[in-house]
Amino acid sequence: MAVEEFEPRIVAFMCNWCTYAGADNAGVARLESPANILPIRVMCSGRISPELVLRTFREGADGVLVMGCHLGDCHYSSGNHRTIKRIPLLKSLLGFAGINPERLQLEWVSAAEGPRFTQVTKAFVERVRTLGPLSEEVAA
Amino acid sequence: MDYKNVLTTCVYCGCGCGLYLEVLDGRVIGVWPAKTHEITDGKLCIKGWNIDGFIYHEDRLKTPLIRKDGHLVEASWDEALSLVAEKLGTIKAESGPDSIAFLSSAKGTNEENYLLQKLSRAVIGTNNVDHCARL
Amino acid sequence: MNEQPVPSIIEAIRQTVAERLQELDGVVGLRRSSEGVAPHVFQQGDDLSELEIVPRYPLTTVVSRLHKSFPEIRLGIVARGCDERAFVEMAKRNQIDPDRLFILGIACTAEEAEECHCAAPFPKHLVVGKPVAPGSPNPVVAEYDNTPLAKRNAFWRRQFAKCIKCYGCRNICPECFCEDCAMEDPAWVEPGLLAPPFPVFHLIRAMHMASRCVACRQCDLTCPAHIPLTVLYDLMRRDMEATLGYIPGEDIKAPPPLSVTLNEAPLLVNTGHMD
Repeated sequence: MAVEEFEPRIVAFMCNWCTYAGADNAGVARLESPANILPIRVMCSGRISPELVLRTFREGADGVLVMGCHLGDCHYSSGNHRTIKRIPLLKSLLGFAGINPERLQLEWVSAAEGPRFTQVTKAFVERVRTLGPLSEEVAA
Repeated sequence: MDYKNVLTTCVYCGCGCGLYLEVLDGRVIGVWPAKTHEITDGKLCIKGWNIDGFIYHEDRLKTPLIRKDGHLVEASWDEALSLVAEKLGTIKAESGPDSIAFLSSAKGTNEENYLLQKLSRAVIGTNNVDHCARL
Repeated sequence: MNEQPVPSIIEAIRQTVAERLQELDGVVGLRRSSEGVAPHVFQQGDDLSELEIVPRYPLTTVVSRLHKSFPEIRLGIVARGCDERAFVEMAKRNQIDPDRLFILGIACTAEEAEECHCAAPFPKHLVVGKPVAPGSPNPVVAEYDNTPLAKRNAFWRRQFAKCIKCYGCRNICPECFCEDCAMEDPAWVEPGLLAPPFPVFHLIRAMHMASRCVACRQCDLTCPAHIPLTVLYDLMRRDMEATLGYIPGEDIKAPPPLSVTLNEAPLLVNTGHMD
């Protein structure tokens, strides 16, 4: 009897200038990225507020990826300075509340890093697969 | 500058939590729970916290309204009460006292509730008295 | 031998306020009346025998309201350590004008420090009373690193299931001033659900408290469901201090780190994304 494998639902916030272009780059090069990813393009990773991430989990994401430009490359110079402070703090907070902090991940992926995009997303999907559905950690 | 906190009782339910209305120059600007109040113990529910929400609300009725030709029109208290008395009398005469029901409110005081059931039983002659919580 | 009686703490505070009222438009403190004890703005001529120091209310909120309504008003505040810290954070965010507020600092008692598990039960501008030692840390917080994830999860699910969404924690908080509160925004918190969805509702607040919470414990005291909110906020504060070296209320010149660049508020630890 085949057991249905858990397919994690991942939402990936990607900044327009770097990561989204990097994802595009991966696609054009015919590199395979996991289908579990729901991409959402934002202008800068610095606009990712904690409430946006939390609502994303609430809406059914088992994992959330926040991806943007490397430090120094931000199109708005210092948008990602906020990201690098906020996302690790939010991860800690998830851990304090008893939700596995590995469900939230921050990665820098530049426009030229197509292969890195596929590698990061694949690894994240597999990591979240081992963590199981989020519903087990938040269901009433 | 006249700043004061006025202790009052929340009108929203039978608990009767104590709270302060924060008043600045004659206008209510906020709410504080009463920390020394036996019932409240410094805590309020969402209704108590928003007790000041209706005071200056634009939808708050300032005069009685009577429906004339399908539209609600401002009226005086005399006009409104006379109309209610006349209509209740007519309904009671035509359909009997038990065709009328009186529904009271937790927002009212005990005294107001007493008066309403007196009106219902002694004046109209019906025991159909109940309370908003049963709606 | 005739000795001058040593004034009690409360008498000393009343005396200080009386003196300062000669140069200030008002002093924000607590007033006792036949109805109870509530925040008040004492002005010249008021009966200062009515001034009290318990129970604690977030007096900086009163200051903020008055500073905004009266742009010239000069006020004093009878402030404990937490009130002073709250003032510092509000001043940074342009909610209180530091040039128009004078701290009349009072120290908490040892019992009060213990009740609040307070790390700094006295203000820097201490005028009356002697500093006492910090209260012992909250045992739940102290043991948190050894508490496994599943246990933390069960703990908070049980706690937050009690929430009646009264917004008391936010209303009483001396730091909360946003007119459009994220906790009320239907984009983040679905309306009409009781208990509010775990963990969105409470974690939004906890994140927003990250650079603001001064451990005054008002939220704990005001929650009708007795949810130990400041356990979470204490952990966030510990993280903020470790990663950004930031302690809310400590330094009026330190900018809120999560809103500014790495040049203005650098990370102290390598979170693995420094490239």
